[in-house]
Amino acid sequence: MQKFLRKNLAGYAFLSPWLIGFFLLAIGPILASLYLSFTKYNVVRPPQWIGLDNYMYMVQFDQRFWKALQVTFTFVFVSVPLKLIFALGVAMALDKGIRAIGWYRALFYLPSILGGSIAVAILWRQLFNYDGVINSVLRLFGLDGPYWLSDPRYSLWTLIVLAMWQFGSPMLIFLAGLRAIPQELYEAAEIDAAGPVRKFFAITVPLLAPVIFFNLVLQMIEAFKSFSGAFIISGGSGAPLDSLLFFTVYLYNEAFSFLRMGYASALAWVLLVIIALFTAIAFWTSKYWVHYENERG
Amino acid sequence: MSRLTRRTFLGASGSVLALAALGRPALAQGAQIRHFWWGNPERDRRTFEVIDIFNTKHPEITVTGETLGFADYFTKLTTQIAGGNMPDVIQQGYGVLFEYIANGAIVPLDDYVGKSLDISKMDQSAIDAGTVDGKFYALSIGANSHMAMFNTRLFEEAGIVPGEDFDPYGYSYDELGAFAAAVKEATGVPGTDDNTADYQNFSDFVGQKGAMLFNEDGSYGPTQEIVEEYWATWESIRNAGGTPPGPESAGLAGVSELSQMGVVTGKSAMTYLWSNQLVGVQSLMEDKLGAAMYPNTPDMVPGSIVQPSQFVCLTRDSVDPEAATTYMSAFVNDLDMTGVLGLERGIPSQSDVREALQPKLSEVEALSVEFFDKIQGKTAVLPPPPPSGSNEVEQTFERLAVAVLLGERSIPEVAGDFLNQARAILARA
Repeated sequence: MQKFLRKNLAGYAFLSPWLIGFFLLAIGPILASLYLSFTKYNVVRPPQWIGLDNYMYMVQFDQRFWKALQVTFTFVFVSVPLKLIFALGVAMALDKGIRAIGWYRALFYLPSILGGSIAVAILWRQLFNYDGVINSVLRLFGLDGPYWLSDPRYSLWTLIVLAMWQFGSPMLIFLAGLRAIPQELYEAAEIDAAGPVRKFFAITVPLLAPVIFFNLVLQMIEAFKSFSGAFIISGGSGAPLDSLLFFTVYLYNEAFSFLRMGYASALAWVLLVIIALFTAIAFWTSKYWVHYENERG
Repeated sequence: MSRLTRRTFLGASGSVLALAALGRPALAQGAQIRHFWWGNPERDRRTFEVIDIFNTKHPEITVTGETLGFADYFTKLTTQIAGGNMPDVIQQGYGVLFEYIANGAIVPLDDYVGKSLDISKMDQSAIDAGTVDGKFYALSIGANSHMAMFNTRLFEEAGIVPGEDFDPYGYSYDELGAFAAAVKEATGVPGTDDNTADYQNFSDFVGQKGAMLFNEDGSYGPTQEIVEEYWATWESIRNAGGTPPGPESAGLAGVSELSQMGVVTGKSAMTYLWSNQLVGVQSLMEDKLGAAMYPNTPDMVPGSIVQPSQFVCLTRDSVDPEAATTYMSAFVNDLDMTGVLGLERGIPSQSDVREALQPKLSEVEALSVEFFDKIQGKTAVLPPPPPSGSNEVEQTFERLAVAVLLGERSIPEVAGDFLNQARAILARA
């Protein structure tokens, strides 16, 4: 035993910065927030144990909680499929072997790097303002654009467009996946007189399924957690009329505007459970449509 | 670190955290005091200059400054409270003061008064405003009141002469509706911002109707009739063309940045703010600003109050309250320092300071002094600090008023919804 320890000590020593960081900065706060979610805690006073009250209040009385769920689900279920379809489309276009492909790849990836940043959200706000660029362009065609950001009927859509614009990272992964599909399959299909649609659904989609699945799970989790765009565009409050009240924005408001850290912790755990649930559902359904080449069976 | 590099560093990165971290070890001996405030470029410039003066005069104490915009200020403060590392001296407003006192984040100053803290020349009204439950907590930097700021050029072009066509210190909503529409007619710019979602204006209106925002027992004061009448009043001004279209105003609900205000962006000719913000707004504009009170009902019951614009407060986390209060004392009494601060945070509450400032006022500062002289006797009594939860009630008001601006739901329906939510919030706080 001692020998074993001595042998591995160096290894643990080298690991220690990560281990310490993991326990202190990840596990510690996670457990603390679980505890706080059962308390009434306003940051200044010590937390006060109230059992399940936070969760009960949330479900029974909190209208904004339900509204936040509604907004977040709409965003996830609309933006993720659109973004993936868009990313796949661009990836297939790029796969056809354009000149200077590396350059295009970098160019299309750029919005994904910038995407989460505050600067882009501010830029987006400028673009979609009533007298912003989008409406100016519409005016050239004689159209009177709506108040994109202050009309609750449109505000969420501007954010969905913003999310689609950040298609770079799934697109790169799709591109790699497309490259891995053997060309012979397409050639054989062509000999059998299969059209492009048939080729897409009979070859591309099934062989790309693992990659589609990977992108789907990743993007879904990201969409559930998205924050900065809605925060900046709504001025931090979920305005107008809570149409941009993303779950994370609501959580932030409860924690930092109204000093209800205990309640905010409870909200955070609900979000965690929701994300875990949907990820599990995705994995469960995947066995019906995702097949791996090396699978035996 | 030299002064120059520190300032340049701050300007370049805006990183107050890094500044505080760097400032400490370099100056090992003596007391270290951190002062945190919300600001704008103009206020930040003045405050850093004041800190430099203090540090030169008091070599045994080193003050470092930290600043953020209003929108981020309380978020940062909250994390600092949680971390137990609040700065020694923080800026507070009347609206949230009570919440911080109730939560124990701010500590009383009584032990230091007459020793390190001199309040002998302070106005009694300012001392009273900083006193809660018999304890003195908050040192007023200056007095403040609600002010309507208008673009004099646009008014002139429309042929509206303040003092002749309307009395800036007593005009009714009907008059406002008439001249706002006239400005729009003549210049194409709507005469006034739409205050449907403006809680400051609403609180004035409540006073004008003879009610209070919070009753003595802490319950919410405004009635269904008052809320409905307030929104209907603004609806009629909007329908007459006096304000920008409803959806446009909806986008500005809850926005606090001066650069977004209608009078600055040129989307309206009149904006409603705090009087101490006149200096900041004028610095963003070329056209000259005029000052007026908020509109009133024909009965002219006073609704606006004169209240401390901001306080400096001592926090629970201060390690050297003696040194911190010495700095706070100089901040409101030292003539060199207050000379630099000027009227940017409101009209000073200390008589000597006011006297010293008088001869060197700029044009816009003179205007705000004149405004203060003119509103004497036309304001309401200062109510006690609002209770916990009032901040959330305010945000709820702004949120629901957007439904009115967009015409989504009827005014009575939204008003009822708002009052229900306000009561629920106060019950839960």
